[in-house]
Amino acid sequence: MKRREFLARGSAGLLALSPWWTHLPMPRGAPWLLVPMDDAQTDHLKAYGLAFRLLERGGRGEWFLNYRSGSFLLPGDEATARDAALSGVATEPLDDATVVSIRGQIQGGNMDAVPLEKAPKVAVYAPPNAPPWDDAVTMALNYAGIRFQKVWDPEVLSAKLRTYDWLHLHHEDFTGQFSKFFLNYAGSPWLVDMVDRNRAMAQQLRFPSVPAEKRAVAVAIGDYVQKGGFLFAMCTATETLDLALAADGVDIAAAYADGTPMELDASKRMRWNEALAFQGAELELNPTIPVYSDIDGHQVNSPDGRQPLGSFTLFNFSAKIDPVATMLVQNHRQVIPDFYGLTTSFMRKRLKPSVTVLADEPGAPWVKYIHGEHGQGTWTFFGGHDPEDPQHQIGDVPTDLSLHPHSPGYRLILNNVLFPAAKKKELKT
Amino acid sequence: MRRALGLLLLLGVAPAALPAQDTTMSRAFELERRGEYAAAAQAYRAILGRSPASAPALLGLERALLPLDRSAEILPQVRAALAALKVSPTSGAIYGVALRAYAATGDPDSMRAVADRWAASAPGDETPYREWGAAALGQRDQAGAMAAYLRGRERLHRPDALAAEVAQLDLARGDYEGALREWLPAIRRAPGYRVSAVATLGQAPDSVRPALLAQLHEGRDLVARRLEAELRARWGDPLGAVQTLENTLPDDPRLAADALQGVGDQLRLVPGPDAREAQGRVLELLADRSTDAERARYRLDAARAYSAAGRRDAARRMLAGIADDTAAPVTVAAGASATLVQVLIGEGKLDEAAERLTAHRKDMTAEDYAGLQHRLVRGYITAGKLGRADSALGADSSVDGLALAGWIRLYRGDIAGAVGRFKQAGPFAGDRDEATQRTSLLALLQPIEADSLPALGEALFALARGDTARAVAGLDQVGGGLPPAKGGAETRLLAGRLAAASGKTADAERLFRSAADPGAPGTAPAAELALSELLLERHRNQEAVALLEHLILTYPGSALIPQARRRLDEARGAVPQT
Repeated sequence: MKRREFLARGSAGLLALSPWWTHLPMPRGAPWLLVPMDDAQTDHLKAYGLAFRLLERGGRGEWFLNYRSGSFLLPGDEATARDAALSGVATEPLDDATVVSIRGQIQGGNMDAVPLEKAPKVAVYAPPNAPPWDDAVTMALNYAGIRFQKVWDPEVLSAKLRTYDWLHLHHEDFTGQFSKFFLNYAGSPWLVDMVDRNRAMAQQLRFPSVPAEKRAVAVAIGDYVQKGGFLFAMCTATETLDLALAADGVDIAAAYADGTPMELDASKRMRWNEALAFQGAELELNPTIPVYSDIDGHQVNSPDGRQPLGSFTLFNFSAKIDPVATMLVQNHRQVIPDFYGLTTSFMRKRLKPSVTVLADEPGAPWVKYIHGEHGQGTWTFFGGHDPEDPQHQIGDVPTDLSLHPHSPGYRLILNNVLFPAAKKKELKT
Repeated sequence: MRRALGLLLLLGVAPAALPAQDTTMSRAFELERRGEYAAAAQAYRAILGRSPASAPALLGLERALLPLDRSAEILPQVRAALAALKVSPTSGAIYGVALRAYAATGDPDSMRAVADRWAASAPGDETPYREWGAAALGQRDQAGAMAAYLRGRERLHRPDALAAEVAQLDLARGDYEGALREWLPAIRRAPGYRVSAVATLGQAPDSVRPALLAQLHEGRDLVARRLEAELRARWGDPLGAVQTLENTLPDDPRLAADALQGVGDQLRLVPGPDAREAQGRVLELLADRSTDAERARYRLDAARAYSAAGRRDAARRMLAGIADDTAAPVTVAAGASATLVQVLIGEGKLDEAAERLTAHRKDMTAEDYAGLQHRLVRGYITAGKLGRADSALGADSSVDGLALAGWIRLYRGDIAGAVGRFKQAGPFAGDRDEATQRTSLLALLQPIEADSLPALGEALFALARGDTARAVAGLDQVGGGLPPAKGGAETRLLAGRLAAASGKTADAERLFRSAADPGAPGTAPAAELALSELLLERHRNQEAVALLEHLILTYPGSALIPQARRRLDEARGAVPQT
């Protein structure tokens, strides 16, 4: 790039931001606050909340992709400075000249500056009785101070889902088999409650069974993405959502869930073209094994198939050519310890060719973190349950994120929350 | 000539054969030692082929076959050994192997036959039936073992024969009453069984203990009394244990001491003041039955036990006994004096304790004397006799002494003197809690400009004596009279904490608010944090959040900021409650 063009871009960036912050009371300090996201940051997770709340107040910021591990440039207004101080988020005051200098560095390297314009409306799919500490995304949102709404089946099946920009799914079983815990945990109060609640909801919504109702919910979610929604799913929601979508006219649920046994040739009859990420999977026919298919690489609940945890490595992308993938992998750590979930990872051989792999375990047949487009929207799947509780068990004490303010795994979740706030740019390719 | 040749041949062959067998036995042992069990078994078999009744070879074969899981293969050698067996000192070993071999092959008739043959060769001996039962138990055959023991009883014509073995079987079946019925005669025959009886019956569930004690109560001899006493001690009735034994102690001092030692051993394992008192009583009874030198030591131990139990009168009685005992060794007398001083301090007889301490100073080590002197000073302080405390302490320049001098000055209102002594004492006087307490007090005292502040001393003295309400009122008043940055805010913060701890939340809130004075930036963050925690406890989250935000934004350099952020997260529900 020529210098004149670079300066013009930099100035344009400055000018673009100025109208939103100049009307705010001027802080005592500098006009800009850089929120470093490298090891200088004192609370990486709350930094996302700081940026999010700025957008909620009508302010604008920028996400400096690959610059100091994905830093944010925020206006140095009093509200932002106050918020940063209260949150314990480290900021560095910058003057205009320094900002121009940083823009020069960004222009010259594999970096980019993405404007953050609008706080996305965030929805988390969870049953009404779900505890706030049983879902990594809910925990991350609570800790970072990002506002969200809970939605469940009635909201998804109504038009309300369209009012949200971003939807998160966690460990829901969209095959309607109650996480396949029905037989192994029979009589456990939490399972009884889960079954009763889901059956009552299926009945209320006039579906013949929970699997039928959950498939309808899965289709509605697929339609939400198709029409431009941002979907982020973790743990078993990833695998079961795709299984439910592909099970068009195929009974993949055990008899305890819908009264009829799973079709023995279900694997062959699946319509993978209706799924988002996976294809050609072989389904687990045994109703007593809490495993759905061979999509998951780690098979945590399979006595024979369980694989040990390793570490996964984030991929590098070209910030200027592929900003979306770059945003999703912004981190101060490249290699991250793996963690189990009912679905921990995704077998490479089961991915559709169009899927972008964001992180994998080098040398292993599985990947950890994937992304793709579906219609006008996008989806991102992240395997595992809780990045800071690698072997989470039912009834474990909740994770306290104030003890993990630099968690690189949780950062990946929050990248996804902020990513819909980024203004889409024309790609060069 | 032919007879002579025959004799020569015998003489010639026999000496050569014996070393050959020894060599093979050594080789078999070596193979077994190296873990080559199959080869060892082969070697033992070779010996038994030549000498079928060789007990070492048969035992070796049994050992070698066991890790190979081929124990049953010993039967041909066992049969041959029994056929060749003549009565000898080693025949018992052969019978034992035979019993185990037949047990392993599930042949009870052969076991009985072997045992009867063995018993016939050893009239009156319990061993054949004991081994028979053990062989059956080795195969987890409890019924077979019981049959063996009962047959032994019948054949030996002794109802108490094999009682310990039958008791163990009863315990295995959970029949504690049956086991007790067997243990009593077993102990009468062999007193060493008492330890096993106490250990096993001691595990009886609560529900059967009354029946066991009733059964023991029926037995009138010392065996039953001792067993009852030791079980009572184990089962949490230490005083009952001693009473049980005391009433039936024999006149023979050796037997009585043995019985008392047994209960004393059990009491040592039992926590609590009752156990200490019982221990004291046992030691006192032992002292009464001991010779001169032992008597003083038992009395000293009894005094310590009584003292630990809070029975100061009994402790003093023991110690007086030592004092009157001219035969008591010097070291024991010194220990008694030290214990007596402790007892007197505990009773509040401080002047008497001081006299005793002075009188026996020469008998004590310097360390023991200093420790007692400091206890005495603390006793005077607690009693409110600061002058006596000061004179008892004298010019003690040890770090503990300086710390005590600091407290005395503080309670007199001598702020400068207290600060000076606390600083000199440093962080090493007393335990960690005491050191932390002094450091906190220094933080309170150092900003105060006045050298003397009797009202503050009185308030802190009231606190030391447990009068929190008076302390809060006094500190509130003193704090109001001091500039915020010169001790006023810190004093009110302390008053607020005391009020909060005693549940007076309204007073605490008022005191915290007054301590959160911007003019005292060293104290204000702590006061705001304390106030916000109080508000959170009262579920006034919004006010707490506003206060915490104020604290974080106003005092960003305070060391309390991480704690404030944590509380803020909790108040907002951003992290789980801990």
